[in-house]
Amino acid sequence: MSGNVVENLIEELTRLPGIGKKTAQRLAFFIMGMPDKDALSMADAIITLKQKARFCRQCFNITEDELCSICRNSSRDRSKICVIEEPSNLIVIENTKIFNGLYHVLLGALSPIDGITPERLKIEELIKRVKAGGVSEVIIATNPNTKGETTAQYLSQVLKPLGVKLSRIAYGLPIGGDIEFADEVTLSKALEGRNEM
Amino acid sequence: MQTRTEGIVLRSQKYGEADLIVTYLTSDKGIIRAFAKSPRKTKSRFGSSLEPLTHTRISLWGKEHSSMPKITQSDIINSFHQIRENYNDFVSLSKLSEIVLSLTPAEIPSKQIFSFFLNILHFITSSEEDQKDAQHLIAMVRLLATIGYAPRLSGCGKCGAEESYDFYPDSGTTLCAKCASTPLSPAKPFIRINNKVIHFYTHSIEWPINKSNRLKPNDQTLLELSGVLDRHLSHLLSKKLRSSEFIAGACQ
Ligand SMILES: [Zn+2]
Ligand SMILES: [Zn+2]
Repeated sequence: MSGNVVENLIEELTRLPGIGKKTAQRLAFFIMGMPDKDALSMADAIITLKQKARFCRQCFNITEDELCSICRNSSRDRSKICVIEEPSNLIVIENTKIFNGLYHVLLGALSPIDGITPERLKIEELIKRVKAGGVSEVIIATNPNTKGETTAQYLSQVLKPLGVKLSRIAYGLPIGGDIEFADEVTLSKALEGRNEM
Repeated sequence: MQTRTEGIVLRSQKYGEADLIVTYLTSDKGIIRAFAKSPRKTKSRFGSSLEPLTHTRISLWGKEHSSMPKITQSDIINSFHQIRENYNDFVSLSKLSEIVLSLTPAEIPSKQIFSFFLNILHFITSSEEDQKDAQHLIAMVRLLATIGYAPRLSGCGKCGAEESYDFYPDSGTTLCAKCASTPLSPAKPFIRINNKVIHFYTHSIEWPINKSNRLKPNDQTLLELSGVLDRHLSHLLSKKLRSSEFIAGACQ
């Protein structure tokens, strides 16, 4: 019986991305060794998250309220919208402290071969936001890969006619890297996107 | 065991936190799947070499006949990034990739399909913007012919009668009135084919691909033929191509 309880937890943990059977076993035994209070508060955090978290009505960021804290913040620049694929991207961009506008989370990226069509993303909602007015610039910060690029191109097709300024985050070389190890596509994109000094 | 081969990336799928499963059309192993560790991390040495449609030289590590070898090295021969940066080109090539993945048996090597696909990538990269719609369709027709699934669009596929202009997706061919319905099986749904469509279709298959820019089909012909091919493919696969729904959804 007790074996089943541990097995159960291991099974559940392997659902997490990047967690294999071995890591799950290690985590399960670690949790078993934790003080009751700590383990229960961890379990509680998952329950609370699932009960309270939802998507922001405006930007599809994760929030506990109807509007997320960024959409509610009156000091943010409402004329700029930064478009991203996932809520986790928002946290990373916020950490840079460079962007003071609002966001729009698409909740995915276009992929023809996987059948991820525009209707399956929050694109219609973005168009509505832009059409509603007050937006002067849309910054497309989808991933620098094929799905992100396809999404960016689709967005440019549907947003350009609305007369809003569109920009795409620059492709570049990773800092701390070495030109010698950059592949030709990355390097040519970095050259195209060069800045005057 | 370490093996080296040449492949075109047909599909890359996220796996776990930062890993990828890459499906290749290879020159000597047919369609294979391989696993790449952490390519999505910005500093990965794989760079953009695992992006769809990239033509690469790869090294794989795994037991012989392993179903999921690990990619240890991947060098770009031709990135074909222009295709990925052109929305319509990429959607169209995704459709071709999906056809290859759905209709060619895995791990049965075909040099012919590999070199055909590579030619198509060069062909689309170099085609003129105003001819793209026609060229995308020509590429699809030729792909179906190469893998042996091209529909028959002229003459009766059963008795050979010349006066046959109705295409029956269920049979993959045009049929004459006599062969289309027998007392035992009532008439099935069909699509009427006109001469312009037949002309464009036949030349798409028969002309050398570098001369195909001389074919100047009108929009109606393109639309009709692409409708016929979609129905044909839906029947072959018993489902709609995922990427074909995408094209319909992308129409502005
Ligand atoms: Zn919000
Ligand atoms: Zn007949």
